[in-house]
Order: sequence, then C-alpha cells, then structure tokens
Amino acid sequence: MELLKPGTRIDFVGKMRKAIFISIALIIISIGSLIYHKGPNWGVEFTGGTEIHIKLAKDLSIEDIKSTLDTTGYPPEVVQQLGLKGDREYLIRFSPDLVKFDQIQGFQTELEKIMATNESFKGGSIQRVDYIGPRVGKELIRKAIIAILLGCVGILIYVMIRFEFGFAMGAVIALLHDTLITLGAISLMDKEFTLALVAGLLTVIGYSVNDTIIIFDRIRENMKKSGKLSIREAVNEGVNQTLTRTILTSLTVFLVLIPLFLFGGSVIHDFAFTLIVGAIVGTYSSVFIASAFVVYWREKKGSS
Amino acid sequence: MRASRGWIVTILIVTVLSLLLLAPTFLGDSTPSWWGKLFPDRGVRLGLDLKGGIFLLIGVDSEKGVEQELAGIKDFMTEELKGDKVLIKGSERTDDTLTLQFFSKADLDKANGIAVTNFSEISDIEEKDLSLDFVLKAAYVTEIEGRAIDQVKQVIENRVQELGLVEPSIQKAGDDRILIQVPGASEKDRQRIIDIIKRSAVLEFKIVNDTGATEETALARYDVANPEELEGQGLMLHPGDTGAENEKFFVTTLDAPVTGESLSGARLIFDEFGRPAVSFNFKGEGASKFGVLTEENIGQRLAIVLDGTIKSAPTIQERITSQGRITGSFTAQEAKDLALVLRSGALPVPVEIEQERTVGPSLGKESIDKGKLSMTIGGILVIIFMAFFYRLQGLVANAALILNMLFIMGFLSAFGVTLTLPGIAGLVLTLGMAVDGNIIIFERIKEELRTGKSPLAAIDAGYGRSLWTVLDANITTLITALILFWFGTGPIKGFAATLSIGIISTVFSNVVVARVITNFIYEEKKVPTLSI
Repeated sequence: MELLKPGTRIDFVGKMRKAIFISIALIIISIGSLIYHKGPNWGVEFTGGTEIHIKLAKDLSIEDIKSTLDTTGYPPEVVQQLGLKGDREYLIRFSPDLVKFDQIQGFQTELEKIMATNESFKGGSIQRVDYIGPRVGKELIRKAIIAILLGCVGILIYVMIRFEFGFAMGAVIALLHDTLITLGAISLMDKEFTLALVAGLLTVIGYSVNDTIIIFDRIRENMKKSGKLSIREAVNEGVNQTLTRTILTSLTVFLVLIPLFLFGGSVIHDFAFTLIVGAIVGTYSSVFIASAFVVYWREKKGSS
Repeated sequence: MRASRGWIVTILIVTVLSLLLLAPTFLGDSTPSWWGKLFPDRGVRLGLDLKGGIFLLIGVDSEKGVEQELAGIKDFMTEELKGDKVLIKGSERTDDTLTLQFFSKADLDKANGIAVTNFSEISDIEEKDLSLDFVLKAAYVTEIEGRAIDQVKQVIENRVQELGLVEPSIQKAGDDRILIQVPGASEKDRQRIIDIIKRSAVLEFKIVNDTGATEETALARYDVANPEELEGQGLMLHPGDTGAENEKFFVTTLDAPVTGESLSGARLIFDEFGRPAVSFNFKGEGASKFGVLTEENIGQRLAIVLDGTIKSAPTIQERITSQGRITGSFTAQEAKDLALVLRSGALPVPVEIEQERTVGPSLGKESIDKGKLSMTIGGILVIIFMAFFYRLQGLVANAALILNMLFIMGFLSAFGVTLTLPGIAGLVLTLGMAVDGNIIIFERIKEELRTGKSPLAAIDAGYGRSLWTVLDANITTLITALILFWFGTGPIKGFAATLSIGIISTVFSNVVVARVITNFIYEEKKVPTLSI
C-alpha cells in the first residue's frame, strides 16, 4: 500500500522561514505562560508539602469540599479537581511551611471521621497520600535537571561522532525546542507538574531525538550520494523520502496515546497529554527546526 | 544476513528464557515451590503507584552518632582521669572536634598521655595551651555515620518484620536515608508502621528526686532558673505521663544506671485492673545492675523513662532482678507495639520521616485496570493498522512486536526492575520506537522495489540501508536512558531502566527477529512477489 504518490516533492525548506516564526511565537507563548504562572505548577514531589488524593461517592463543588475540610482545624491550601469531572476525584494540597508530618496525620484522622459521619462525604475514600519533606524535593529537581542536561551532552557527542557538529546542534536545539513548548503547554493548561509529567517530558525528549536522527540519516545519505546536490536539495529530498514514515509513525503513536488519554484514568491522563503535545511538536521540529538548522549551518559554513 | 540457523536458535532460546522468567507472573500463587530454586520466583514487580501500599523515606540523623562518639570519649577521659585525681575544667564540642580544658599543664600532660594511648587511632590529638582537641579522623567519621545508618536499618528491619506484613522492603537510600516500602499495606497498617518506626524506644531507669504539677514546682527546691542548670547537680527534668495530675514533671538522677539495652524480652500483659501494660525481663548483667539499683533505693521511687517521658514511677518495695512492667494509658495494640519496639532495641540516633507516599489499594487497582485497558486498545489498534497497511510484512512486524513485549517483560523480571507508572511511559516509548523501526525498514524496502529490484534483493537492501538509521536512533535514545539511569533517582531510574532494556530488545526484534521471519518466508517458498 502506498500512502503518498512515489516521487512526492513538497518544498519543506522553502517553508522553513515561516516555520521558524511559528516556533518563535510558540516559544514566546510558552515562556510567557511560564512567567505568568511563576514557573511550572510544581507538584508536591518537588516543592515539598502534602497531597491527599480522595475519591467521593457524591457530586460536590470544590467550595463545599474546601469549607468542610476547613472545619478539621487543618485548612488545606488548595482543593482541586483531578482527571475528568465524572471521576469525582480531588486533590487536597498543603503547603510545606504550614504543616508538619504529625499534623498531616491529624488531618487524616479528622478526614476519616468526616468520611464516616458527614452525609455528603459518606462512601468516600483516601486514595493516596504523599508527604514530602522540603529537603527531598529540592534534591529531586536538581538531580532531574542534571540528568537531562547530561543527556543532552551525551546526544550532542554521539551525533557529532556519527554525523557532524551542525547536525548535533540541530538535534539538541530541536530537543530543547520540544521540551520548552511541551512545558509551555503544561503550564498553559495549568496542569500540575508531577513526577509522572517528568517521565512524560523525558519520553518526549527520547521521541524528539529519535525522530530527528531518522531524517538526518537520510539527509546525510543524500549528501554522500551525489555531491552535486545543494544542502537545500539534500534536506528537501531527505524530508520527502522519509515523509511516509513520519506520517505513519506519528499515526501509530497517536493510536497508542489517544486511548491512554481517554481511558487511562486520572493518573495517566496528564501524562498522555504531555506525550501527545510532545509527539506533535517533536515531529514538526524534526522536519523544520532540526533540518532548518542544518541548512543554516551548512550554508553559513559554505559561504565563509 | 540470512535466516541462519544460529539466529533462529538464538531467537528460540531468548523466547523460551523469557517465558520461563515470566511464568510466575502468569501463574501467580499457583507457581510450584521448586520453581524458585531454579529461576527467579517472582514475575514482574509492580510499583506502589500501581499496586497500592506505603512508601516511606526516613532521614537518619547520623551526625548524632558523631556527637555520641565524642560524648563517649569525654566520659572515658573523665573516668580515667579520676584515678589520677585530675579534674576536667570544661569541655566543648564543635562538629567533629571535642575540646577538653584543664586547670594546669601537668593535668593536660596526663590527659594527653591517656588520650594518645586510647584515641590516636580514631582521632588527631592536638595540644593547645591548657586544652586538648580530639579531632575525629574523616575516615572514622564516615565509619560512625555508616554504622549509625546500618544500625538504624537493622532496628527498623526487626520492627517492621515483626508486624507480619507481606513483603516489606527496607533499603538504604544514599548516605543518610532509609527507604521502606510495604506493598499492599492498608490504612491501619500505615499508622502502625509510622508509629513503630518513629519511636526511638530509649528506655531508661532512674531514681525520682522530686515531682510537681508544673516545671516551677518541680524545680522549686533546686534554686535553678532553667532545667539545663540541673545537670550541674547531677539531676535532670523529665515530663511525666503517669496519669497523676500533680505529677506532670519529675526531677530524677541524670544518669540512668540501667537502660533498655539490658532487656532480654518484653511482652503485652494485663495488669490487675485488666489494663494493657508491657512486662519486661532483664538478662544476665542487666538483672544484677537492676538488682543493685533497686536494693540501694528501697523506699524511693523508680522512674521508668521512655523516650524522655516518665511512663510510670512505682515505689521500690524490695530488690528486683528479673522483671518489671510499664503501665500507662495504652490500648492493647499500643502496648503490643511498644513491647515490639522495646524488644527490637532503641534507635541509636534520631530519625525523621522525610517522605511518605501511601497509595490506597483501590487507586492502585484502578490504575492497573485502566492502564491495561487503554494499552490493550492502543496495542490492538497498532496491530490492526500494521496488518492492514503492510499485509504479510505487517503480520511479521506484529509477530516481532509481540515477541519484543515478551522479551522486555522477561528481562524486567530477570533484573528485578519494578514496573511503575514512569516505567510504563518507558514501555510506551519503546513500543513506539519498535513500530517506527519496522516502518522505516518497510518503507525502505518499498523504495528499493520501485527501483526494480527482486523481492529478496529489495529485502536485503532495505534492511541493510536502514540498519544504521535504526541503530543511530536507538543508540542516541539509549545514551539518554543510561545517563538518566546513572544520575536519576527513584521514578526516573525506573523509567530509564525500562527504557534501556526496551531499546536493546527492540533493536534485536527489529533487525534480527523480523528479518529472520521475513527471510524464512521468502527463501523457503521462493515467493515471486512481496506482500508489503
């Protein structure tokens, strides 16, 4: 079966200028949203503090839940909806400065009493309790950032050895581009940045690099095959040759991700969201951003 | 690469091995008992986020161990110098250093002599004018801190094991933390686990001097402004929890002649009023020490101090050697747990709960069910798509994909990797890359066919030319995964481990398994057209 007519030639390189503007706009929106929201909405794993995930049997408004919980003597900082509305799952958060471990235990005892006696809370249950001391959280952020940066260096070195410097830079720029825009989307949707989302972001990085390398490989082959091809032609050729694969792979990735997004449950929902955004941005950046940098770098090198 | 016998045998071996490794996952509890002797007897381990349970990260104050070591040196020096009629003028402790001050040069010289004979191996001894510094050697400090965390781990292990929970895991995490994981623990277990872990369980026996309803009344006789000054008189203030309103504070001796270390056992009993209490026994030397203490203080009150609080203070009627009991307002469960922590010994240094994660079993089950459902739907859609789009080759890819899943699961259980939510993320990425690998190769084969090559030649060229594309893409991702594994912690490590195993298995399935099956079909049957 053929998806595209053999010999399809779309002038991707000609559209790169427009694409770069779109990317810059997206990055500005992402950074803007991050600044507006004062950075990612760090989950309790990073800030320290406490998070209690409850599931109720009856529909209640966030305000009602909050005001009932305030009567425990340990007023929570935030009560928010989790997953989809029909799930009746909520997240209760306490800031780390307000509450110590013993107080959280006190709150839980009170909460259990409420769930046993209060009519509208009856049948509810505590699904998950996360208490994280401030020391642990800071370490986690630091280690995650170091790991990601070292990952970038590793990719840079490998791609430099297998290809050349311009390609390596292109791959890393695309990777940072994808990470930033995905982070921006998470921030725009005001989703909590949890460890599951870190895993999602790491997956996006993996996907982004994978996708970029496959197109690079073809570009390099074209460059070797005929010295006559200009870098623009080689890149265009390469992107077109791998276009069927790019479309099919994205399609299969979505076949996996959309069920996760829809039926995965509250925990997986946000994670799947991250991957969907990342897959779209990652595919786009491999074609336009990474390849555009290779064109730019090669032409600059050629002219100097 | 032909469908050589070597590769076919390799694939068969890996398949059988994976099936063997996975048998416990499929069979569950009905796995025969002899299985564990030959193969890993546990299948794929599920993390707490998927299974439910409790996760506690305990910070160990190992510096306290250093403090205790220095206090020990001071006690030893005081005791030794007493024989030489030398008094220590004062002492001071900063970090790893103990400074002792003396009244005269002669005293200092004597002290120096004793210090060098006894402590030069563990500390640098520096003489300054009329004072002596003991600076613990860095290696020894590391040793003390290491020992402290080992002891804490041992004590916590003893305590948690005795609760009789299923599969608790207690591990060291870094230099100063202990990770406790109890899968499937209930809310009730959670409370007990936290209580027994946090309890230092330092049991001391002292003699009561005075009591009072408030700090002031207790201190009234001693002419001191604050409790710390009592220490100069060899006394100490303790809060009391004996139930008597007029005895909320006790002044007792500073030293505890007998401590919980001398206990040989402790158990739950009920006193004459039917209230739960803890009875304890002493062993050899402890029994005689306790005998001396009680004999010398008949008519006085004995303070039973648990973690700094006086639990009861009975009047000593006669010499007691073998046993005693702690009464108080306990429930039977509390008394039982107290007996448990007393048996398991005191924590050598204080601990603090730095992180807790409890996942209710229902959320865990829901995560697994929903995760399974959504991944199955996704997987089936991909399989249908591949079969529809690539026909026979699609089926080959699907066979390779299913084998790939089998290998990954098999090796995950072989390496004892715990599958968590981030781990599933790693799996999703791996499967995406596996399908991608097939698509890359098949599209290349199609291109080669268009140039007029025969099916076999096209397969050869397609696989040959895509080999490095697939390798490059996977190696770069593998580099990232390995770096994440090296530097990441907890969940990031789990993600990286799953991804690393997944990538290796994926490359094998893409370039070996799919190829061998393809060659097998087209070489044997000499099919003239390629179904792709």
